[in-house]
Amino acid sequence: MNTIKKPWIYALAALMFGFASCESEDPTPENDEEVITDVTLAFTELDASGNPTGLTFTFTASDPQGIELGNPTIETVSLDKNKTYRMQIEVFNSIENEDITEEIEEEDDEHQFFFLGSAFVGSSAPMTYTYNDVQLGLDGTVVVGNSSINSSEMRIVLRHDLNKGFAGASNPSFENFVQAGGSSDLDITFPVTLN
Amino acid sequence: MKLKQVILLFVLFALRSIPLRAQDCSNVIRGKLVHLEDNEPILGAYVWIHESRTGAVTDENGNFIIKDLCPGDYRLTIQYLGHEDIEEVISLNSANFSKTFRMKESSVTLSGVEVHGHQDQVQTTTAVSSLYGDELLESRGENLGESLKRIAGVTTFSTGNSISKPVIHGLHSNRIMILNNGIRLEGQQWGAEHAPEIDPFLANEITVIKGAETVRFGPEAMGGVILVTPKELPTQKESSTSLNLVGGSNGRMGNVAIEHIGGSQKITGLGYRVQGSAKRAGNIQSPDYYQGNTGLSEYNFSGSLGYSNSKLGAEAYYSFFNTTLGILKDSHTGNLSDLEEIIENGKPFTNPGFSYEIDNPKQVVSHHLAKLKSHYHLNENIKLNLQYGFQLNNRQEFDVRRGDRDKKPSLDLELFTNTLDVYVDHTNQKQWSGSIGLNLITQANSNVPGTGVTPLIPNYDMLNLGIYAIETFSKGPLEIEGGLRYDFRDLSTARFINNELDESQLSYQNFTAFIGGVYFLSPTLTFSSNLGSAWRPPNVNELFSQGLHHGAAAVEIGDENLNSEKSFKWVNSLEFSTTRSQLELTAYANQINDYIYLNPTGEIFVSLRGTFNVYEYLQADAFFYGVDLSGSHEFSDRMSGYFKGSIIRAKNTSQNTYFPFIPSDRMDWGLSYRFGEFSKGTKLTLSNVLVARQKREPDFDLAPAPPGYALVNLGLQKGFEIGENKLNLGFQIQNALNTSYKEYMNRFRYFTDDMGRNILLKINYQF
Repeated sequence: MNTIKKPWIYALAALMFGFASCESEDPTPENDEEVITDVTLAFTELDASGNPTGLTFTFTASDPQGIELGNPTIETVSLDKNKTYRMQIEVFNSIENEDITEEIEEEDDEHQFFFLGSAFVGSSAPMTYTYNDVQLGLDGTVVVGNSSINSSEMRIVLRHDLNKGFAGASNPSFENFVQAGGSSDLDITFPVTLN
Repeated sequence: MKLKQVILLFVLFALRSIPLRAQDCSNVIRGKLVHLEDNEPILGAYVWIHESRTGAVTDENGNFIIKDLCPGDYRLTIQYLGHEDIEEVISLNSANFSKTFRMKESSVTLSGVEVHGHQDQVQTTTAVSSLYGDELLESRGENLGESLKRIAGVTTFSTGNSISKPVIHGLHSNRIMILNNGIRLEGQQWGAEHAPEIDPFLANEITVIKGAETVRFGPEAMGGVILVTPKELPTQKESSTSLNLVGGSNGRMGNVAIEHIGGSQKITGLGYRVQGSAKRAGNIQSPDYYQGNTGLSEYNFSGSLGYSNSKLGAEAYYSFFNTTLGILKDSHTGNLSDLEEIIENGKPFTNPGFSYEIDNPKQVVSHHLAKLKSHYHLNENIKLNLQYGFQLNNRQEFDVRRGDRDKKPSLDLELFTNTLDVYVDHTNQKQWSGSIGLNLITQANSNVPGTGVTPLIPNYDMLNLGIYAIETFSKGPLEIEGGLRYDFRDLSTARFINNELDESQLSYQNFTAFIGGVYFLSPTLTFSSNLGSAWRPPNVNELFSQGLHHGAAAVEIGDENLNSEKSFKWVNSLEFSTTRSQLELTAYANQINDYIYLNPTGEIFVSLRGTFNVYEYLQADAFFYGVDLSGSHEFSDRMSGYFKGSIIRAKNTSQNTYFPFIPSDRMDWGLSYRFGEFSKGTKLTLSNVLVARQKREPDFDLAPAPPGYALVNLGLQKGFEIGENKLNLGFQIQNALNTSYKEYMNRFRYFTDDMGRNILLKINYQF
């Protein structure tokens, strides 16, 4: 009889233990680390020999809530015709107080900015972009031509995990960037005024 | 030896002998069973009458008696371990029948197991279909969902080719239930991309109950129940091992599984089973390209120890499931325009070639399940049962992220579940049998901190208490069954919204009931009908989802005020069975009130990352109906054919629209030819799967339903006997013509073609 009774004791013990341990943990607030809240475009005018002249001015797209709930505010980019600018991009997560620019730099082999929209794409596009860094786009040169267009749109897309060697991907205004694979971390359209 | 006899008698009780007491039905079959070699009587052999579904066990003198039979033709099967089955057709007129049967020892120790392990898994008047024996052997190497496609009316809802969830009559996820050796499997089954955490190699038999079975199994068993049942534990000294090796060309898949069962010589009634499997596969190949990052690796283990004597039975069981699943890289889109671009492209942008490597996005899931079960025969008619189950499910989902966050899961959930069942079964010599019981479930879900992502679902504690009673009345060829259940569920949740604690306390309760009947119209024809109500409280994700579903480019919004779903399902089934032909027709209608579904709002959510579609959880009345038809026929001793098909219609009757992801009309048919000797011959099967386009599409879908498709499959099965051991070799070519197709029920149809040709070699060795 002893051998029969024993399993019952184990069973009862396991049962008590199981039900007692079955309570959820208290939740902890989780800050969204992947979120980008601020994207700043910093323009510095360059002279004919490529040296910076004048002050640096910035335009920001921001979404303090991050991706989850946001409704972004996007400033209008205002540039002068017939001028050349150095454009640097800064990316920031204000929720976690994190500089994401650094992260993108560290992973420059899997990130790339593309510069699209009517400002860059098409035969009559008023602006051109060239990478100053290795096909990344955190640092580049924007040339504003002498066109009759006074307002335009600049679409900036940050791709992650793409094949940077894909045919055509070296073009910063590559419209078929999706074909190089990866996914979009940023996709912002800035309105542009050309003076 | 007396013990075995008693156990078998109880098995027979479970098999529901139906006393046929109608006027002309008092005939008797008597028999004596002896060894062919020495005329010694055989004790404890199992005698079974197919048509009346009654049976007996031979006594010390080898005698058996089956009473209460109507005049007619009966198919009699006698089985005894280590002996060849005896099959005989007996014509009963007005006189009684008596005969001495001589049984021959068989060289294969474990023949006839197939018929044994079948049909005693559950007593129900609902339509039941099972996968066992050769058919289960043919499905080895597939996941649970894929295996179950072999049953008419069961399809899959899948995410790529490695994640598939079974769909019964159009319902899946939280609307059906899967039992792992009697314990309801509790994972995060609400997610479309969350496959059931179970090793198909566990199963000696997989049974699908196609009716509403809330009363018996608890809330959520709305569309049906899947029972995954392992091999029975031995109760006497014996030992057997089964080894499975499966290799597949597509994905260069390798799968190995081993199972060993043994019975103790010292302690009669003590037996054990250990089982384990490992699976590894790389990138799946569609006809024109490889699907990047679609490999998987899986390790599973289970063990069981059981003891039984004439009064007491006890079983301890543990199973562990562990998988790492790669998710098609291209399916992880950053925003709506990404998603639209790849849908327009119709295939992945990348073709990375073959690799076993599993990168992000991926899922790492482990599941522990422990069970203790015991029953005690209070007397001849009353049996007390106690079953306790403990489960721990851990699900980690890794996304493509910046920096070393790649190594941190974006979703990390830990789910504890306790289930306790206490029930009493009663039978008596007269017509009544049944059970009353209590079922308690407690569940605790926690988000493991440190993901750096706002959790998709809150932490919660859930308690569900149910009480039920089921009673069966049998008289002559008629059997009527009814049941009633009351459930109470309490749910308390906690989460942070914008750094503020948000807590909710919700409770649900419901009565459910069913009534059903089986009528044996003739020895070859059986009709069953079952009308059952069922319910399902809203799931946590439906109540509390609030935010971006990464990868799906969708913002999903839950609703805390959702009501429980309530359904009424009516299932009718007609079964025709002769020695050469089998036909099963199941027709059903299922009215679901307050059916919860994810509805596109038409709004678009704008963020710095781009735009997203917004979806919300809504409720509407739904009506599902359909038919399943399956049959087989032996044209000659060598030639046979089979057919399976299902049609389902589902409509949102409140809005007069269609729901997404309802299986389209499909059928599967094939012809088999046997070469050589029958017992160890070769069987060649050519089959054809036809799937129609889903014409009943919802108003909104990311892409239109893909066109219909036809696939050709080839199979070659050969059995060998090596001494006392048994070797089964299987060679299969799935999608033999390497057809490019997309299945409507596969969520990745937006991104890629389905799997191309797959050549499989399956070796099963029993020793």
